[in-house]
Amino acid sequence: MQHNIEVNNVGPNGQIMADAVKSCVHCGFCLPACPTYRVLGQEMDSPRGRILLMKNVLEGTLSLNEANPFIEKCLGCMACVTACPPSVPYGDLLVSFREYANETNVKYSFFDKYLKKFMYAIMPYTARFRFVVYIGIILKSLRNFLPLKLRAMFDLLPASFPVNEKFPETVYAIGNKRARVALLQGCVQSVLAPRINQATIRVFARNGIEVIVPQGQGCCGALTYHAGLSDSSRNMALQNMKVFPKDVDAIITTAAGCGSAISEYSRLFQDTPQYEMAMDFSGIVEDAISFLDGLGIVDEVIVNEDREIAYHDACHLSHAQGIRNAPRRLLHHIPRLKIVDIMDGEICCGSAGIYNLEHPEVANKLGVQKAVNIIKTGVDYLVTSNIGCMTQIEVSLRAMNSNINVKHIMEILDDAYRGEF
Amino acid sequence: MSKSFLDKLKDIVTDEQVLTAHSELIPYESDGLTAFKALPRAVVLPNKQSEVISIVRLCHEHSVPFVARGSGTSLSGGSLPNERGIVIGLNRLNSILDLNIEERYAVVECGVINNDVSEASKHYGLHYAPDPSSQLVCTIGGNVAFNSGGAHCLKHGMTSNHVLGIKAVLPDGTVVQIGGHSLDSVGPDLVGLFVGSEGLFGIALEIILRLVPMPEGFRTLLAAYPSMEQAGDAVSSIIDAGLLPTAMEIMDNLTIKAVEATVHAGYPTDAGAVLIVELEGEIVEIEEEFKCLRKIIYESGAYNVTSANNQNERALIWKGRKGAFGALGKISPAYIVQDGVVPRSQLGSALAEIDSLSEKYGIRVANVFHAGDGNLHPNVLFNNSDEEMLEKAELLASEIVQMCIRRGGVITGEHGVGMEKREFMNDMFSDKDMDQMLILTDIIDPHQIANNDKVFSRSRVPGI
Amino acid sequence: MFYPQSIEEIQRVVVESHAPMVVRGGGTKPGLLNHNDSVTTIDLSDVSGILEYRPEECTFTALAGTRLNDIEEVLSDNDQWMPFDPPMVDKGSTLGGVLAAGLSGPCRYGFGGVRDFVLGISWVSGDGNLLNGGGRVVKNVAGFDFPKLMVGSLGRFGIITEITMKVFPQSQAFATLEWDCLNIEEAVKFMKLLSLSKIEFLALDIESNGIVRVRIGGIQNSLQKRLDSIARYKNGAVIFKDREESEKWSSLRNFCWLDDSCMLIKVPITPDIVCRLDSKLSHYEALRLYSVGGNVAWIGWMDSIVKLDKILENLGLTGLLLLGEYNTPWLGTSAFDNVFAAKVKAALDPKNRFMSL
Repeated sequence: MQHNIEVNNVGPNGQIMADAVKSCVHCGFCLPACPTYRVLGQEMDSPRGRILLMKNVLEGTLSLNEANPFIEKCLGCMACVTACPPSVPYGDLLVSFREYANETNVKYSFFDKYLKKFMYAIMPYTARFRFVVYIGIILKSLRNFLPLKLRAMFDLLPASFPVNEKFPETVYAIGNKRARVALLQGCVQSVLAPRINQATIRVFARNGIEVIVPQGQGCCGALTYHAGLSDSSRNMALQNMKVFPKDVDAIITTAAGCGSAISEYSRLFQDTPQYEMAMDFSGIVEDAISFLDGLGIVDEVIVNEDREIAYHDACHLSHAQGIRNAPRRLLHHIPRLKIVDIMDGEICCGSAGIYNLEHPEVANKLGVQKAVNIIKTGVDYLVTSNIGCMTQIEVSLRAMNSNINVKHIMEILDDAYRGEF
Repeated sequence: MSKSFLDKLKDIVTDEQVLTAHSELIPYESDGLTAFKALPRAVVLPNKQSEVISIVRLCHEHSVPFVARGSGTSLSGGSLPNERGIVIGLNRLNSILDLNIEERYAVVECGVINNDVSEASKHYGLHYAPDPSSQLVCTIGGNVAFNSGGAHCLKHGMTSNHVLGIKAVLPDGTVVQIGGHSLDSVGPDLVGLFVGSEGLFGIALEIILRLVPMPEGFRTLLAAYPSMEQAGDAVSSIIDAGLLPTAMEIMDNLTIKAVEATVHAGYPTDAGAVLIVELEGEIVEIEEEFKCLRKIIYESGAYNVTSANNQNERALIWKGRKGAFGALGKISPAYIVQDGVVPRSQLGSALAEIDSLSEKYGIRVANVFHAGDGNLHPNVLFNNSDEEMLEKAELLASEIVQMCIRRGGVITGEHGVGMEKREFMNDMFSDKDMDQMLILTDIIDPHQIANNDKVFSRSRVPGI
Repeated sequence: MFYPQSIEEIQRVVVESHAPMVVRGGGTKPGLLNHNDSVTTIDLSDVSGILEYRPEECTFTALAGTRLNDIEEVLSDNDQWMPFDPPMVDKGSTLGGVLAAGLSGPCRYGFGGVRDFVLGISWVSGDGNLLNGGGRVVKNVAGFDFPKLMVGSLGRFGIITEITMKVFPQSQAFATLEWDCLNIEEAVKFMKLLSLSKIEFLALDIESNGIVRVRIGGIQNSLQKRLDSIARYKNGAVIFKDREESEKWSSLRNFCWLDDSCMLIKVPITPDIVCRLDSKLSHYEALRLYSVGGNVAWIGWMDSIVKLDKILENLGLTGLLLLGEYNTPWLGTSAFDNVFAAKVKAALDPKNRFMSL
């Protein structure tokens, strides 16, 4: 699509944004792929519409504050990128635009402004987040007295506080050592569901992979990156680069959102002195699923029962990183297991970072749709690969009185190994 | 537009369903053809049929033009907004009202997405056959308005051949039911007339679609040729041999490269042209046909022939073809898609003529088309920030259209006249023919409000 | 009665004549003609001839009065045919007649009807102008689809003069299977089963006595295999091939099963109404053939036509009287008593030079 964006006037990412706009042909293939368009049914809330809005803002024909509410409503699920024939780099455009918006002092409502400030000051920091979750669980009974947006926050909290387990710095491989990896624990996940990392370590060890868990690690920067807060993302990323060793075969993430953000470090660190270092780091980061799939499972799983599960593709794994087959191949290592397709499986569950806190109405609708489609499959287990999806789906399922188990793929493998599946 | 019109609009629907802010209108400024854009005065998003009817009646009362829009994928500017009027967005009317398997029909609302009809019926072994490249997005209402075709219409026919009945609201607000559930009919074929009328006769609210059994099997073949001409000749040989494939598609080298750069369909990038041929039907039958087809393909000078052995390989071959238009965005910021038809036997020479035109203007033309029915899709690639180039591109495109008419063809095979080909209508039809169409339009739409700036340039008054 | 020899003469006749005009082609469907003396009948049998036939394009253009058997002959020399399977060819039916009446034969089931094969049309309007719609290539969406509108219009909008049609390559070989399902209910049940199968039947007919008849066509080499697998659907299939087969369908298309005194009525239906309609008709000893997978009823009627009119009206069906005499060719419920039809009529024939709808 033709544009009149003056690339030098719209911040450091002008060229990236202009190129993305240019490659959009307005064909509309993204409309049915977009969760917000499906729920809201208006083109301002579609990728094609947002691209036009961003284009007009960048061209100076539309005010940022008028356009931004629609840009804000984007989940960043990247389903549109999968559907896009000319592969418009929508993710780059979105993040760059959000950064531009932040730098141009876009106006938020009082509530949104402080919600954002609060969340971004808490969530990426494990200790703070743990404390807030702890308080939250205690105060959960107050939820009914709160406005919708705050209520959503409480709804997403677990019923009881997960045990905070310390990991040994090195977990040795069982049997023949085939690889050595470092584990990125993830900020939110390590508070809400430390069991995922525990399961990953056990599954890896059984398959000859030595896992080290570097001390002093923190958030990868994903939450703030996807919100266009690049400075703070860079600082977090640099902290991790400092503490992670380079002499490992891979740095493993168990949350799709982290892996997706780290794969975008090339843009985050573009034109910075740390670019090389960031590329070295992100070059060896891999999701636990694709790493294990690539290396191959050696320890055989034994199961005595036929099982049907549904696998939910986390957007940041499938759409953002293109990883769709690896999780299914891994699951097929469990004998007598049938994977059932979820209708509209490519559609986001509504989690999307802190989206379910910022836009609870849209997120709820998506959550309900997802839960309905999962319940329709008739399975006992819903398996996925991202903590955000797990939280959102579990809450949505419970709200519909479904007791389908929600598990990370590593947990399922771990359970199967231990004869508990 | 007076204040009272908008207020009355908001009496019909809720305030949230009426979009008037600048930021809300911009996303509706174009359809799939971005060369044209216009901001409507308002966009209204009805949730049910009764709202659409009331809105149309209100427009008629106030003589306010309206443009119906489904997913906004028209390639001829068919759903380009009218600056004096409103856009009626019909995407929320997306219910499949009845799926009658035994009688093999579906009753759908106009905002239902084409592919969703097939998805809903595939469980029963049926599907809705017309498959425009945009089938994952485009709505049945839009298909009806534009009589959309698709790669497989060589055997199955276009939208018109699959619509049994229509409930429509005419531009004056009258609601009519035409056609019915039967495959056959008596009396004038009003459904046939309504389909393809590009929104000038009003809005189809409910459509009865014919469903057909999914074929037992497919044979899909991808053949690479050194030149376009050889690929074009192969198509003629296939028809001469008495074969009736469901689809025959050709792409030129420029398109192949664009496709490979984006969707990676595995097309040989050194080929001058690739030809996709698909047979469908009973397996024993298509196996015999396939033998015959392979022989023709090899004799026609194909140097690289692959055939799909399973559904995934078939999907991959088609992924390249269906994503071709979008992929061109990768190699050019703007393009004009032409849609002319030439007699099939003239494919080779028509393509050669397009080549020399492209050279003459110094503008690249990427060709991807439905070869089986002679429906060309030359994509004139240009950079429209350059005024001069835009003008040249338009001239080139117009020469291509003229060439189609000169060869006994037509100006549009499936995209419709829309905004883009209005000025060519006079080259195809006599003044008297045009008058008859205009008179019909004016009687059906006395206030000239239903997509009325499309199809015809209203510079002429009938009979003058 | 006028017998124009050319299109120009048709135009002249139209301008000069006063009474409402009706058109006659081969005269094989007298039920469509008005038997009232006040109308002007224009016979087009002399405006005939194939103007252009391009086998490589699978299209031909012919004048309206061209007899279908002349066209079929030329096509079959090139191994092509009109797959909508026009009826009454052997009786002298014309291209214009079959189009204006909107008639298709049994193979409409597999390929589509006359409406699906018409590409372009010329007609003389009420003020004597020669107008055109559509084109001469197999795919075209420019302008309104007047060619389709004219299908079944019985010349109510103008006098069709020239028609461009799409044709298909003729199948190498055909075969037909018949089962005796003993009664209509069983026949309908079996028909529905077949219609949801993956077999590409060209024709699927049932008779009121329970006979189910299907036709397949295609490559000679695979025909026997296909026949074998279709025969497995139900025991007792009788198979017809070659000449016997083609004669069977030809006699059906030419309505050889009707008595001379019979009226003939075509009624578009849906499969679910076949049994109800059949039980009503059986009281009047009508001859009944249900064609196109239960989508068309051909009725041979010997009783008073008023009674059939009533039956169809009660069932919400519309019929077209082809053979017989009545004050209107359309029986039963009006299929086009709506504003849209009225507007189209007003636009195309503002002075009511032709019969009203």
